[in-house]
Amino acid sequence: MNGEGAKKASASGHRVSRLASREVLLDQEGFLVDPEEWSEEVASGMALEQGLPRLEEPHWRVIRCLREYYLTHGKAPLSREIKKKIGMSLLEIEALFPGGLRAGARRIAGLPNPRGCM
Amino acid sequence: MIYLDNAATSFPKPAECLRAALESYLEHGASPGRGGYDLAVEAEERVSRVRDRLAHFFGGDEDHHVCFTYNATDALNTLIQGLVEPGCHVVSSRLEHNSVLRPLHHLQRQELIHIDLVPFDDRGFIDPAAVLKAIRPKTRFVLLSHASNVLGTVQPVKELGTICRDRGVPLLLDTAQSAGVIPIRMKEWGVQGLVFTGHKSLLGPTGIGGLVLSPDLHPNPSRYGGTGLDSRSAHHTLEYPQRLEAGTVNLLGILCLDACLSYVEEHQKAHGYEPEMALWKKLRDAMAEVGGVKLYCADDEGDHLPLLTWNLEGHSAEDVGTILDGDFHIAVRTGLHCAPLVHQDLGTIDRGAVRVSLGAFTTEEEIVETIRAISLISRSVSR
Repeated sequence: MNGEGAKKASASGHRVSRLASREVLLDQEGFLVDPEEWSEEVASGMALEQGLPRLEEPHWRVIRCLREYYLTHGKAPLSREIKKKIGMSLLEIEALFPGGLRAGARRIAGLPNPRGCM
Repeated sequence: MIYLDNAATSFPKPAECLRAALESYLEHGASPGRGGYDLAVEAEERVSRVRDRLAHFFGGDEDHHVCFTYNATDALNTLIQGLVEPGCHVVSSRLEHNSVLRPLHHLQRQELIHIDLVPFDDRGFIDPAAVLKAIRPKTRFVLLSHASNVLGTVQPVKELGTICRDRGVPLLLDTAQSAGVIPIRMKEWGVQGLVFTGHKSLLGPTGIGGLVLSPDLHPNPSRYGGTGLDSRSAHHTLEYPQRLEAGTVNLLGILCLDACLSYVEEHQKAHGYEPEMALWKKLRDAMAEVGGVKLYCADDEGDHLPLLTWNLEGHSAEDVGTILDGDFHIAVRTGLHCAPLVHQDLGTIDRGAVRVSLGAFTTEEEIVETIRAISLISRSVSR
């Protein structure tokens, strides 16, 4: 990201972060501004920042399921769809990620920030 | 599905009432007040009867004016913009919803008005003495919510009305949360302008709300257009109710509201809101025993609506809402509830809180299941 881009990012409350080997633009809550910038490397970098040194198979199952749904439907899955598709309760998924469902699983999967009700 | 978001929109609705209203609309749904043929005249008569009924329901007289709006936010904008004068002063509170705060802040930013927002105490109540202290010679009105949509606390309106009457300042009351739950006596309490919405505890559909005005309060129109009156004039009529209604009213919404009002009146007459408060108390007492639960301003059951706002240590409010929905099929509201100053003062501005709000159709079994679900979440591994 060039200097001009970094200036614009700062003005909008976004920040540029180096995750793994690349720079990405994050919003104020650490969500990817552009979900297209997501990669497994970026996900691992986000997890590491939240104190999760390594994403294991159950984490990847959740992340891949969320991304697949998002890429197919252009939106995040409903609560009941997450449970059905992943085969885990939301309580279990919440416990799996240090940031929980929203700030953990959803953020690391590179889905947009659900800003409703805030 | 257990629906506990009645403070946002009541659900389910009294189906028979809505069906009856729809039938009536299908038979008589012509243009109210816009024609001389019988069907239009009858439609207008129906609307007029609902206005009278609403004035009575809120404790006004036959000389009170009832104007329809889309909802409470629309009514508040109509009232605020219709009453302010350049350089005037307005008293409101930190308990208010953005439907009050944003119109006021908009006018303040334009340097048209000055605002004082009185605080609430640690029990969630406004001190009438603080309102009295805030009133200035240029105060145009005092605008307060009857009950907080976050805390559920019901404000001492009668006392506030006496203060405002003594100081010659109109008291405007936002009853978005209380209408249909608590019997309201606007004239007796000294309320000159009252705002309501149909889709919460009046059990009606979305898209219908309104204003009830005492005969000595005259907001100026802030929207202009067709009214069916004085069509030769280049200017909007100042006659009520068209003064504050531009365009054709929402007849279907009005008929639905009328039908649902019958249900609410019967329910109030038979039970008051004791059944909901008994369930609220059961929920509150059980949640107070759940490890890690922090309840906000839930001590005063005598001056409270059946809603409870809380957080669970180690879990974000939003995640708790998602888990309740996805794992337990319980719908609650999380976040800031469009009332940022309340959350700022509670210390919950970052992630908000969880709000459980009961309604006329909430059952004891549903509350028992909700307590069970929250207990289970509290026992899970917290982060």
